[in-house]
Amino acid sequence: MKLAKSEQDRETLIDPSSKAWEGTPAQALSLSPVPLEAQPNEYIRASWATRSYGKTGEVSATALADNDRLYVRLQWEDDPAPNEEFPDAAALVLGNGDLGTLGSSEQPLSLWYWAADRDEPLSLTASGPGVFARNGDNGISGAADLSNGRWSVVIAGPLAALAGDQLGVVVWNGSNQERAGLAAVSSWVALEKE
Amino acid sequence: MNIQAQNRQIAWVVDLNKCIGCQTCSVACKVLWTREDSEKAQWWCSVNTQPGEGTPRGWENMGGGFEEQTHRAKPGEQPTPADFGGGFEFNHEEVFYGGSAGKVHLEPQAPREGRWAMNWDEDQGAGEWPNSYYFYMPRLCNHCSNAPCLRSCPSKAIYKRDDGLVVRDEDACLGARFCMEACPYKKIYFNYDRHVAQHCIGCFPRIEAGVAPACVRQCPGRAVFVGWLDEEQSPVSRLVNEWKVALPLHPEYGTRPNVYYVPPLSPHPLNEDMSVNTEKSRIPPEYLESLFGSEVHGALDFLNAEMAKTREGKTSELMKTLIAYKWQELLGPFAVDPAEIIATG
Ligand code: SF4
Ligand code: SF4
Repeated sequence: MKLAKSEQDRETLIDPSSKAWEGTPAQALSLSPVPLEAQPNEYIRASWATRSYGKTGEVSATALADNDRLYVRLQWEDDPAPNEEFPDAAALVLGNGDLGTLGSSEQPLSLWYWAADRDEPLSLTASGPGVFARNGDNGISGAADLSNGRWSVVIAGPLAALAGDQLGVVVWNGSNQERAGLAAVSSWVALEKE
Repeated sequence: MNIQAQNRQIAWVVDLNKCIGCQTCSVACKVLWTREDSEKAQWWCSVNTQPGEGTPRGWENMGGGFEEQTHRAKPGEQPTPADFGGGFEFNHEEVFYGGSAGKVHLEPQAPREGRWAMNWDEDQGAGEWPNSYYFYMPRLCNHCSNAPCLRSCPSKAIYKRDDGLVVRDEDACLGARFCMEACPYKKIYFNYDRHVAQHCIGCFPRIEAGVAPACVRQCPGRAVFVGWLDEEQSPVSRLVNEWKVALPLHPEYGTRPNVYYVPPLSPHPLNEDMSVNTEKSRIPPEYLESLFGSEVHGALDFLNAEMAKTREGKTSELMKTLIAYKWQELLGPFAVDPAEIIATG
């Protein structure tokens, strides 16, 4: 995926519907469910054994950077079923390790986690599916727009955090009660800096 | 006060023969721990009329806990705030100051259809006159020894302290809510503003200062005991281990709860001709068995026998303990007066 350099200011870049995103080609990423066997405890495996999750099959992603921040816009089809309890959510994954299981205790990954019911995204350390711990505030920001049945979410954070020039994407379908390790995840995508 | 707590277990015993359903325990807890707007539906301690659907509504059919045969985790439902029914506004203004005395009565301000206000719509009971019956049952988190809430949490936010209390680190909780499904007692609530689940903390800051939990200390019925389960001469230990008259609620859930109940005795029912049927109790023993397991029959027999002893003028250690002539006896080692504690930090 191309990581295009932008001269726009931060407010423009964080806006999912700003013109800044227009010149850069989006890349379609296919997602698949985090495996049931990898879920971290018996309760979760038992209660989801006969239900499917990770229902978001595809996301389109675009990446921009200014001098010190990375901005990624994710867009996907919203599930029209109402969100009764859990929010729709998405995350960028940074680091090196097993993306399919959202990290492991030996090789934790970083999550920049956006959720529709939170004012600000969270920075999390992921050591397995749903095995997440909060980090302090490390300058993650986000903005979202839901229109015509499509989510458009920009998640941004310090460019310096980008390890190994690769990114992963996770999406939780809140209408399907997806949360923690019950999610759809992409494969690692290499970022080609301009 | 130095509370020795190395892998010990704090336990509660509630004497259902003495609970008068006043909800003082519920309110004592509420004003201490859940006063935020976002905690409106949270009643960490709640008292229901039995038989009834309880709070949250129908909680006994919501799953969670462990399968009886296989001991495997059993999927459960997450109760909704409406099921908890604890967040209603009441028409206090109208009743007290509205100039309509005698015409309007106090009532939760929500359409009756589907409404389930705690200590209101759930106040049911069973049986037909003249043999109707009911009793009150306070419920709080059982601080289970095999806690499914703790096991179900992917971010390991819930842990069991050395004193046996099951608590949650709210900074570690990310709001996944599996604990709410896994707890078969449905005693976990969600705070939608702070995105964390919450439940009874066993008043641990009080425990650490030698003060009994609010639900115990404030009970005007002298119905609730607290103490170490392994302290042999303590009321809690004697009631549970020695006399076996205090029983866990729904032991078949497999969580090894640490709130125990002395089952309620009841008068004999009346026959159709209004004569007394001395063969039976008004509260059907099968119903009590459905709550407390088959051990309940032995417990009731022993309670009846000890009561008979005192009627004959003999003494019964069990009756003395349950009567609790000195109310401090209910508090076990946590008898420090909270008024004497100087709060710091
Ligand atoms: S305060 Fe005591 S008597 Fe009143 S409802 Fe609670 S346990 Fe029962
Ligand atoms: S009663 Fe529920 S919340 Fe309390 S320890 Fe047991 S399972 Fe956990």
